[in-house]
Amino acid sequence: MTGDLVQAAKFIGAGLSMIGALGAGIGIGLSVQGALEGMSRNPDTYGNLLTNMILGIAFSEAIAIYCLVIAFLMLFVL
Amino acid sequence: MAKTRTWRWGKNRWIILVFVILTVIGINFFAPIQSVIQVAPEHLSATPLFTLPVIGSVYLTNTLTALGVTLLVILLIAWIVKRNIKSDTLIATGFTGLMEMLVELLYNLTESTAGKWAKKIFPWFATIFIVVLFANLLKLIPIFETFGLAEEVTNGGYTAIALGGNWVNVTAPAVDEGGFVVIPFLRGLSTDLNFTAALALISVLMTQVIGVQAQGLGYFSKFFNTRTLFKKPFFGFMDLIVSLLETISEFAKIISFTFRLFGNMFAGMVLLILIGVMVPVFVPSLIMMFEFFIGLIQAFVFGMLTLVFMAMATSGHAEEEHAAS
Repeated sequence: MTGDLVQAAKFIGAGLSMIGALGAGIGIGLSVQGALEGMSRNPDTYGNLLTNMILGIAFSEAIAIYCLVIAFLMLFVL
Repeated sequence: MAKTRTWRWGKNRWIILVFVILTVIGINFFAPIQSVIQVAPEHLSATPLFTLPVIGSVYLTNTLTALGVTLLVILLIAWIVKRNIKSDTLIATGFTGLMEMLVELLYNLTESTAGKWAKKIFPWFATIFIVVLFANLLKLIPIFETFGLAEEVTNGGYTAIALGGNWVNVTAPAVDEGGFVVIPFLRGLSTDLNFTAALALISVLMTQVIGVQAQGLGYFSKFFNTRTLFKKPFFGFMDLIVSLLETISEFAKIISFTFRLFGNMFAGMVLLILIGVMVPVFVPSLIMMFEFFIGLIQAFVFGMLTLVFMAMATSGHAEEEHAAS
């Protein structure tokens, strides 16, 4: 094996830590499903549902961003 | 019957075509390079400005200059609005009307969430929203993260072509030694971990202060709940454990505020730099559109979470809705 072992380990670690974004994808899909179902049942509440859906998506996305921060930590800091 | 307009191709496509052609021409002269990507903001001055006793030395970093620019823009907008409002204007029009619409939107949101504490909570929500919004959006204008100091590095850099005077153009062929990298003068303010951590600490601290203002010192029984410990022994003990978990969750709030904003903005910056090197022609515009949207949403989420936590702190155990991290 030639090359920099530490650099290779950094890349492997960064790749592994991004598996956690899978949960965020599923979570965002579920919240959009709930919002769309609510909008289709009751079109009057469109604005309210949209605002709360965007808020919920930002929360789920934050978990994926935590995984991304660990990946960046491995790539660029340590 | 209402007059409808048949849709035709507009003239915007020609403007976009002109820009794409200009980009292709520009790349031949100024080929994009990958600038230094690191989590800590880069120092612009070699020696520290001053040294604080406990914290250490304070350098002039490129996010500090971006903070200056952001604050100048906000103050400029505030000055323009103040100049346009005279004492007898009833309806504000134009730019002032836009700002009034923004403030009214935020205030209605505060009133619907916080009830009678809206007047105390609104300044915190609106200030955090506006500062984070301008910090996120100013990151996208072309001047940020492009002009900077060309620094010579020992291994792996890019060639520098002198443009006359003191200006250097650092472009494409990567050299092994004696190359240059660019350290930008201005870097997006919310990509700095110091900024987001400071805002998170301010937000959580002021939540505690507003809680004490609303409920007196009984507010702290949220964190160490011995109120029902002697009346109903088993449930009182469970209340105590739950209150210790609440304490841990307050610290988790600080960490989650910090890393949510930092992670979103830093990821956007890295994405723009990497895509700008690989496909510089049209794709960065699409990513900038996405970043605009993300910046708006992250500012709104930061402010909204501050609002919700402050509103929960004023009401105590009457209504408990568990806002996620």
